[in-house]
Amino acid sequence: MAEHEKTGKLLEVKDLHVSFFTPAGEVKAVGGISYDLDYGEVMGIVGESGSGKSVEAYSIIGLLQSPGKVIGGSITLEGEDVLAKSKEEMIALRGSKVAMIFQNPMTCLNPVYTIGNQLIEALKAHDKKVSKQEAAKRAMEMLELVGINNVEKRMRQYPHELSGGMRQRVMIAMGLICHPQLLIADEPTTALDVTIQAQILELMKDLQKKTHMGIIFITHNLGVVAEICDKVSVMYAGKMVEQGPVDDIFYKPGHPYTIGLLRSMPRVDAESYERLIPIEGTPVDMLNPPEGCPFAPRCESAMKICLQKMPPYVELEDGHRSACWLRVQEQLQREKQGAAETKEVPEHE
Amino acid sequence: MAEKKLKRAIGSLQPDIDDILSWNDLPENAFEPASAAEKESFIQDRKSVSYWKDAWRRLRKNKVAMVAMVIVILLALFAFVGPFIVPYSYDQVISGANNIHPWHYSLEDQEKINAYIEEHTGSANLSPEEAVAQAEAEAAARGETLSAVDAAKIRAAAKANQGKGEENVTQDDAIKALGIKAKPFGYTNAELERMAAGESVFPHVFGCDTQGRDIMVRTMIGARVSMIVGICCAVIVLVIGALYGSVSGYCGGKVDAVMQRIVEVIYTIPEVLIILLMGSTLKPIFEEFQNSGDGPLQRLVTLLGANLISIFLTFGLLYWVTMSRLIRGQILQLKQQEYVTAARALGAQGGRIIKRHLLPNCIGQIVTTTFLQIPSAIFTESFLSFLGMGVSAPMTSLGSMCSDALGGLNSYPYRLFIPAAILSLMILCLNLFGDGLRDALDPRLKK
Amino acid sequence: MAKYVLKRVLMALITLLVVICLTFFLMNAVPGNPWLSEKTPTEATIDALNAKYGLDKPLIVQLGKYLENLIHLDFGNSIKMQKDRPVLEIILTMFPISASIGAIAILWAILVGVPLGCLAAYRRGTWVDSLLRVICTVGISMPGFVIATMLLHVFTGGIEGIKFFPALFKGTPESYVLPCLALGFYPMCYLSRQTRTAMLDAINQEYIKTARAKGLRNGKIIFKHALRNALIPVITYLGPQIAFTLCGGFVVETVFTIPGLGRYFVSSISNRDYPLIMGTTIFLAAFIIAMNLIVDLLYKLVDPRINLGKGGH
Repeated sequence: MAEHEKTGKLLEVKDLHVSFFTPAGEVKAVGGISYDLDYGEVMGIVGESGSGKSVEAYSIIGLLQSPGKVIGGSITLEGEDVLAKSKEEMIALRGSKVAMIFQNPMTCLNPVYTIGNQLIEALKAHDKKVSKQEAAKRAMEMLELVGINNVEKRMRQYPHELSGGMRQRVMIAMGLICHPQLLIADEPTTALDVTIQAQILELMKDLQKKTHMGIIFITHNLGVVAEICDKVSVMYAGKMVEQGPVDDIFYKPGHPYTIGLLRSMPRVDAESYERLIPIEGTPVDMLNPPEGCPFAPRCESAMKICLQKMPPYVELEDGHRSACWLRVQEQLQREKQGAAETKEVPEHE
Repeated sequence: MAEKKLKRAIGSLQPDIDDILSWNDLPENAFEPASAAEKESFIQDRKSVSYWKDAWRRLRKNKVAMVAMVIVILLALFAFVGPFIVPYSYDQVISGANNIHPWHYSLEDQEKINAYIEEHTGSANLSPEEAVAQAEAEAAARGETLSAVDAAKIRAAAKANQGKGEENVTQDDAIKALGIKAKPFGYTNAELERMAAGESVFPHVFGCDTQGRDIMVRTMIGARVSMIVGICCAVIVLVIGALYGSVSGYCGGKVDAVMQRIVEVIYTIPEVLIILLMGSTLKPIFEEFQNSGDGPLQRLVTLLGANLISIFLTFGLLYWVTMSRLIRGQILQLKQQEYVTAARALGAQGGRIIKRHLLPNCIGQIVTTTFLQIPSAIFTESFLSFLGMGVSAPMTSLGSMCSDALGGLNSYPYRLFIPAAILSLMILCLNLFGDGLRDALDPRLKK
Repeated sequence: MAKYVLKRVLMALITLLVVICLTFFLMNAVPGNPWLSEKTPTEATIDALNAKYGLDKPLIVQLGKYLENLIHLDFGNSIKMQKDRPVLEIILTMFPISASIGAIAILWAILVGVPLGCLAAYRRGTWVDSLLRVICTVGISMPGFVIATMLLHVFTGGIEGIKFFPALFKGTPESYVLPCLALGFYPMCYLSRQTRTAMLDAINQEYIKTARAKGLRNGKIIFKHALRNALIPVITYLGPQIAFTLCGGFVVETVFTIPGLGRYFVSSISNRDYPLIMGTTIFLAAFIIAMNLIVDLLYKLVDPRINLGKGGH
């Protein structure tokens, strides 16, 4: 499918701040996050509900709803500044370069139009010259690609006549019909049955290999991340607390929140006596974010400094960063032990 | 050295550059574990506000709703306190006050106007009847009686002269010619004389009707009837609807099925048609009952008025359907929610479940729907009264006042427009306040 | 589908039967009789009259007889207003005037109200939205007779120099203008408000987010995706609105002195012309119930989610 596979940076997000200006005050939904994504790379964004992961994704595609506003930072897609684009340019960008699929396939398809109608519409929005027959043909190809059989009949059906898994496949087909470089998947499997979840994940992995697109996979489920992602960002209360390759995150987690997430995840290979350990407490109030680390009140190894200052990023390994005073402390101790031994972290931007 | 190393962390998490620079001089105890109390105090809890406080805060922010509320309160004062201030009663016929306008001319001005008219109008312009009457009076003064032949002659002469006079001067012309300005509020001449004698007289702010009844006090009473009807109907609808709906929703199964069929039938009955029919047929039934004896029930009917009771009954029988559907829907929905299942699993009894779990969750919608029933009842009552099937004379309502004023619309438009304006204003403000109430009580509905 | 239609029709018939019985018993519970205004009738005259019109038999028998006649479309004869003229004939001469005014009124209400509602939703939060909201809220707060009399006063010579339309209904096209305007104003405002709500509701649905993510233009999102969904609930409001408009005709016909069925119905009530009251009530009720039924079935047809093969939900 992808004739010319591009390499290098597809998306670069730098110090992004997004706030919601509600009557009760400013809610800093995203408080400065940065990451980059290469062509053909799959990144997972993990966090509990309200951590700002969806908001962050919506700002990439320009779908932030009215009280929400990007107030700082930059988003660069294929070398172009997304935030500087006009409304018209954003409309042209959506669906063609960046596609998005959503959590609930039950409500995301318009109930009064047929599948075919909605697929063809997605294609026609970006390719005005395409003829009706051609569009229908491509829509059917797309449906076949996402593993739907009996496509001619499906094209004439209404969303309510399909099962949930089927609808999510249609959503994926609709997202991919214009061959986007980047697919943002906002919890695409959360609303589905477990068996269907696995099928959809398999499908997405498969399609990713075929099309070589970049995927941002938003989820609260670390298991899903392990399945599909190359790297992971963990978000907590609008901040990115840890970021790194998927193996590092799973085997050498550097932030107590990540550790907590891993511990609360059921494991197939777990010993029978192992218990799942929940993270105690509730997330902070985003209307009055505290001074220090937002996770501190729920953190079992919280220190005095945690309550006063936001920890900086510490590079644990190549591409693996964590924002935790514990890691800072370790680093400082290592320094004390011997400056010569301390590994210099190469400077790069 | 540490400085150099730590400065390069990419972006996002440092709140401040200075923070990073100063990060070598962290306090001594920085890395000591924090106590639970410290953690506790770290979270600045938002003050948790109760549902009603929160709703009130939202409502207060809604300027339109607040203005509407103030107007409703003013109208209520007008309707309930007003009649005690105005010294006239709604059915009191004030002598000489027939058709007086809500403005008046002082006695001197009136004299001037009359003089002007007399000056410019000859007796030739008397109407035939007036001419005959004049001649009769003159004859009576002479001690004679006017013969029929003479009367006929005079009448014929007057008829011939009519319209031929030099000028036909009306009061309006005279006022214009003399440049006299009307003064606000209406007074009868007798009242003006009493005022001249130093007495203080309460004005007829909106004038009087054909029978000489003060329009303002009638408007007040009309508004009072409207408000009473609105509130009573809302209460009736709430009681019947809530009972029916909750029983139907809570019992479920066959009971629910049968009850819902009944609701469906009532729902499809053309309401207005039946209201008209019932409004007109129940009234005589109650009137007869009222006259049938002197028991406590009869006295109650007399107290409320047969017509009002028939209106209440009509509303009670027809309008509870929407409310019952709403409450049933809420209960069905809530019955499936986990926390209700949980409460039930924990052994809570039916009544307790309704009180503690179901009611708090649909109270907002119930209050809103009940409140919005008030303007809708007022609306329908005015419609009935306008068609002459609401409250009956001498009692009045805004609708029947409008209907009464229809005849003299061109000469006395204010007689229709004053009650109509108050009625519309009342319904409008109640609607606006109800909308505000809905937004405040059910924030999920707010877009 | 057939089962569903059958169920609805059956329901409608039951409703009609309830209306008939209710009307019948209410009518007969009213004290006094239609002969009271006849010049001091004697007991014997009243008995004779009662016997002649079958009013001396037990109520149930009277009802049974009435229902039986009704099946043959025999509504009985008027006993007072137009003595001995068949009720059906009276209805059929009066109804066309009421129906035509009602139809024009509801038509303009739809044609203006729905687009205005869309406009308000599309420009929500702007002055256009606020203005429309004020107008429509005022519109649904003014009882029909207020609007009707205001129009009557302003446009038929109440204000000097303005006399565009005749004050009395003459059956000419220009005498239709004011009644239709007055009658359609409330449903127009109501529909506009409902359309706005339904549109906003549709706009907040997830499929609109999908449409936006697809890169569709705003116009297409609003008019293709939101409007079609918003119109479905609006159709359900149409049924009751049609009924309301017809009954609102009572007031408009009274104000503009239109010789329609509504005005006649009102005066037949005060004259206690039983067969006429019953005939008119049943006729209008049947009409309204039929209208509601049609709108209801139409709604099921428009919404593809309703599975026609299995009889709906």
